[in-house]
Amino acid sequence: MAERPTLTEDEFRRLTEYLYRRTGMVFTEAKRYYVERRLWERMAVTDSESFASYFARLRTDTHEEIQQFVNAFTVNETYFYREDYQLKCLTNDLLKERVSDKHAGEAIRIWSAACSTGEEPYSIAMWLLENWPRVDEYFIEIVGSDIDTHVLELARAGTFSKRALMRLPPELIAKYFEALPAEQWQIAAELRDSVSFTSVNLVQPDDTRRHGQFDVIFCRNVLIYFDDASRRIAAENLYDNLLPGGFICLGHTETMSRISPLFSARRFADAIVYQRPGITES
Amino acid sequence: MPFVRKPTQPAGHAKPGAAEVLTGLGSAIAEERWTAARAAAELPESAAALAAALPQETDSRVREAIFTSLARIGTRDSVAAMLPMLRSDDAALRTGALDALRSSVIAAHELLPQLLNDPDVDVRILSCELARSLPNEEASRSLCALLAREAELNVCAAAVEVLAEVGNDSALPSLAQCARRFAQVPFLSFAIRLATDRITAAGSRG
Repeated sequence: MAERPTLTEDEFRRLTEYLYRRTGMVFTEAKRYYVERRLWERMAVTDSESFASYFARLRTDTHEEIQQFVNAFTVNETYFYREDYQLKCLTNDLLKERVSDKHAGEAIRIWSAACSTGEEPYSIAMWLLENWPRVDEYFIEIVGSDIDTHVLELARAGTFSKRALMRLPPELIAKYFEALPAEQWQIAAELRDSVSFTSVNLVQPDDTRRHGQFDVIFCRNVLIYFDDASRRIAAENLYDNLLPGGFICLGHTETMSRISPLFSARRFADAIVYQRPGITES
Repeated sequence: MPFVRKPTQPAGHAKPGAAEVLTGLGSAIAEERWTAARAAAELPESAAALAAALPQETDSRVREAIFTSLARIGTRDSVAAMLPMLRSDDAALRTGALDALRSSVIAAHELLPQLLNDPDVDVRILSCELARSLPNEEASRSLCALLAREAELNVCAAAVEVLAEVGNDSALPSLAQCARRFAQVPFLSFAIRLATDRITAAGSRG
């Protein structure tokens, strides 16, 4: 195995700039150890002897190394029913507004952007089944996306550890999951078949555009990894991905007001969310 | 299950080409201008058309897209096209320009020295904010140089505010000198004391 090189300032800058151009994620010197650790992992896997040889492999995308490299830098820590006050807001307020001019049988589109291993889109599906009496009146399309293709494979498999289920009451686990050996649980096949997963880079307009427009987008704890420039681009992409009057939910520490003036802030009983102004804005 | 997996909506439209962008920027329909302004980011040759469209654009959403695209194109000319907006009487336009410039590396590195010397006081005040985009050492140096020559109280106050966050020990003499020059201005003395305390505390934490 190759040695674990400490990057020179110039190498660190070249590597993090490359990552930034690909993903919009920013890593400063303060994150040097985080960056180097992931670089060492990729160098070991690819049997690269030096930073130069690994970087050459990366830039030529040998054996699709770019995607593997990006995968190594994503943060995939999440669990079911995380920040569930927004799920309450979804069923108490957001969907009520969204269906006000829809007929029974029409589509409702919900996007879980940066869904990691699938906990969020599956949570949305379970929450709707459990908490929205009108769930059977509409065709509901739930899309989960992430830039990391490895986590999307895991999301499709739908197998989770005990930790991911920590916020779920036992009756929901019994209802929607099948226990597997080694304290693993797999989500029911009906739910696995209900969510589509796809790879999307939020700062690439071509990538986001092809998914059309949604009624509600969950984009929680993602934009915090971007710098100002990438956040602006992502916000404009997300705006285009919302139907007029559609809503976007950010993480509890995030605010769209500091990123872009495109959206209107809406305060509901359970959460503050952001809305694309449009015909349904009240 | 009420869920459907196949897309219930067709994919979004293909992005417009260079000719469509130029036409779109002049459209009477805001939606078309928005689409053109966004697509222009990937067409560096459209920077001049974006720059020309900016001062006359009335839709704040389209203006935002123009700013973002000029910043994304990221050439010296495309970034410089936003500078006149810093002098606008329209506060939304000034803020929009500042936000976009803040996201541009060129703005901070190449244009900041000129902006900090601009004859317009308001431009110098807004430009202090841009220094935040520089590495701390460089930002501190630029703002200290400004403090040494700046006669306008409000510009000094803006520089002190940014220095309080990005400054290091080497900024302390410049702050002290500024405090002496404006000793009769209580709010600036207070701001300088606060900045000095913060920098000193950050320095002692290592």
